[in-house]
Amino acid sequence: MSKVKTAGIIGDLEYKTAKVKVFYWLYFAIMVCVSLICILPPVWVILSSLKDIKEFYAIPPTIIPRSLHFDKIWNTWNEFRFLRYYANTSYLTLGTVAFTVFFNGLAGYFFSKLKPTGSAFFFLLILWTVLLPNTIGIVPLFSNIVDFPLLHINFTNTYWPLWFLAAVNPVAILIFKNFFDTIPASLVEAAHIDGASKIGIFLRIVLPLSIPILITITILTINGVWNDFFWPYMILKDQSKWTVIVAIYNLRSTLPADIQFLGLTFAIVPPVLLFLFFQRYIVQGYAIAGGVKG
Amino acid sequence: MSANISMQPYAPKKRKAKFIMYWIKEWSSWLLIVPTLLFFFFFSWQPLLSGIWLSFFKTKGFKADGFVGFQNYIDVIQNSVFQQTLINTFMYVIWSLVIGFVIPIVVAVIINEMRQWNSWFRFSVYFPSLIPGIAASLLWAFLFEPSENGVINMLIGKIGIHPLQWLQDPHLTIVTIVLTITWRSFGATTLLYLASLQGVNSELYEAASIDGADIWRKFRNITIPQIAPLIGLTLILQISGVFQIFNEPLVLTEGGPNNASMTLQLQSYFYAFRYFEAGHSVALGVVTFVILMVMTIYYFRIQKKWDRE
Repeated sequence: MSKVKTAGIIGDLEYKTAKVKVFYWLYFAIMVCVSLICILPPVWVILSSLKDIKEFYAIPPTIIPRSLHFDKIWNTWNEFRFLRYYANTSYLTLGTVAFTVFFNGLAGYFFSKLKPTGSAFFFLLILWTVLLPNTIGIVPLFSNIVDFPLLHINFTNTYWPLWFLAAVNPVAILIFKNFFDTIPASLVEAAHIDGASKIGIFLRIVLPLSIPILITITILTINGVWNDFFWPYMILKDQSKWTVIVAIYNLRSTLPADIQFLGLTFAIVPPVLLFLFFQRYIVQGYAIAGGVKG
Repeated sequence: MSANISMQPYAPKKRKAKFIMYWIKEWSSWLLIVPTLLFFFFFSWQPLLSGIWLSFFKTKGFKADGFVGFQNYIDVIQNSVFQQTLINTFMYVIWSLVIGFVIPIVVAVIINEMRQWNSWFRFSVYFPSLIPGIAASLLWAFLFEPSENGVINMLIGKIGIHPLQWLQDPHLTIVTIVLTITWRSFGATTLLYLASLQGVNSELYEAASIDGADIWRKFRNITIPQIAPLIGLTLILQISGVFQIFNEPLVLTEGGPNNASMTLQLQSYFYAFRYFEAGHSVALGVVTFVILMVMTIYYFRIQKKWDRE
C-alpha cells in the first residue's frame, strides 16, 4: 500500500493520545470478534465434514476436529456423482455468460451508440423493469416455460429458459450502456464510413474495447449462476440435470448429515476460490452495480 | 419522432416520405434489439401483465377459467393465515432493521479507522456473502439444531443459557432467520458504506481538527452527512428486499412451526405449486406488489421533502 492519506476520523495527532489509543484497540478487538463470527461457521462446517463418522456424531460435537479424513472428499465426490452436478453447473454457466454478454451487450450498444428515434421509450420500459418487484410474474412465467406461447414447447428439464432469463438483465444492460458511452463516437463513425455493418462494429470494435467490463460482467454472472436457486429448482426436476445448489437442496432429506456437510463444502469452495482469484473485478463490479442503483 | 410529426401536421406526403426514410436508415438498428425485447416481453413484461389479469379469474392449472372479479382477493384476504402472514412479513422487515441496519454502518466506520489488518477485516466481513444463499441457510440450519447437541446451543450453554428451540420456537423463528440473513448480507452493504466513506475529503477532517472539533463532532458533522444519502437508499432497498423474503424461510422452516415464519411470497408460492391454486397465488402477489409500491412511493415522497429542506 502506498502512503495515501486515508480519510479516517481519527487524525494522526489524536491517535497518539492515550485515551484514543484505548478506544482504538477496543474497536480493533470488536472487529476481530466480528471477523471470527463471519469466518468460523463455514470453516467449522468444512472441517467437520472431514471428521470420521464416530466423531461426527459425538455428543457434544467437537469444536476443533480431532480427525481429518481427506479421502472422504474423494469417496463422496464419486459416490454421489458431484462431478455431474459440477459439469451441469458449468454448462449452464457457459450459456448464461454467452446470453448475458451477447444480448445485454447488444442492447447496451443499441441504447448507447445506435439510438434511433423512439429507442428512449424502450430504454425507459427496461429501466422500469428494475424498479418493479417481481411478486406477480412467477406463475405466468412458469406457465410460459412449461408451455411456451404460440410455439407450445415444454422447456422443463432444459437449460434454455435459464439462458433466456439471462438475457433479461436490466442491470447488465445499464452497466454496458454506461461503459459504451465512454467509447468515442468518432471510432464508430470511422468504422461505419469504412463500410462495417452495425453488428460488425459491435463485434469487432465495441466488444474488443470493452474487455475490462466484459471480465467484470462475466465473473459476476458466474457467481450469480452458482448462487441461483429458484428457477433452476423449478425447471430442473430431473436429477441428471441438477446444478450443485439444486442438488444440495434436494438431497438434504435423504443423505446422512456428514455427507450433507461435504455437499455444503463442495458448494462453498468454488465461489470463494473465484473471489480470491478475481477479487479486483468482483469488488469493482459491486461498485458499478451500486452506482447504477444509486 | 412525435415531435417531428406535430411540427408538420399539414404535410402528410412529406410525413410519409420521412417515415420511409427513417426505416431505410434504422431498420438494421432495430433488428439488433428485437431478440432482447422479445426475451423481455415473454419473460418479464407479459408475465407481469398476465399475472394481474389472471388474478381476476378462476384458474385451472395455470390457465384462466371463468371471470370471478375480486373473488380471489376476497378468498386470499379472508383466509385465516393471511393476517398472520402479513404481520410476519412486517416482523421480518422490522427485525431485519433492528438487527441488521446499523451493523454495516458501524462496521464500515470502524474498518475505515483501522490502521492494522484493514484488508483482512474487509475480506472477512465480505466472506459470508461469497457463500451461496441456500448453502448458508442449510449451514445455519445445522448450527441452530434445537437439541443440546446443536453447536449454538452448546456455545450458549457455556455461558449458562439453557438450550433454545430456535427455528422450532414460534417466538424465535423469525429472529433466528433474520440473524442468518444478516450474517450473510451485512458484509456487502458494509463494502458500499466503505466506498462512500473513502469519498470523504481528508482535508475536511484536518480542518475540523484545527478548529478544535473532537472525534465525536467530526463523526456527527462530517461522516454522517457524507453517508446519509446511502443510508436512505439502503433503507428502502432493505425494506423492499426483506419484504419479498422467500428462499430462507423455505429452506429453514417451510413457513413453520404452524405458519409462525410464513411470509407473503412463500405463501404465494405454496398457493401456486403446493395447492395448485394459481389464481389465489397471483392475487396474493398483487397484494404484496401494491403494498411494496405504496411503501416505495411514500419513501420517495419523504426523500423529496428532505431534499427540498
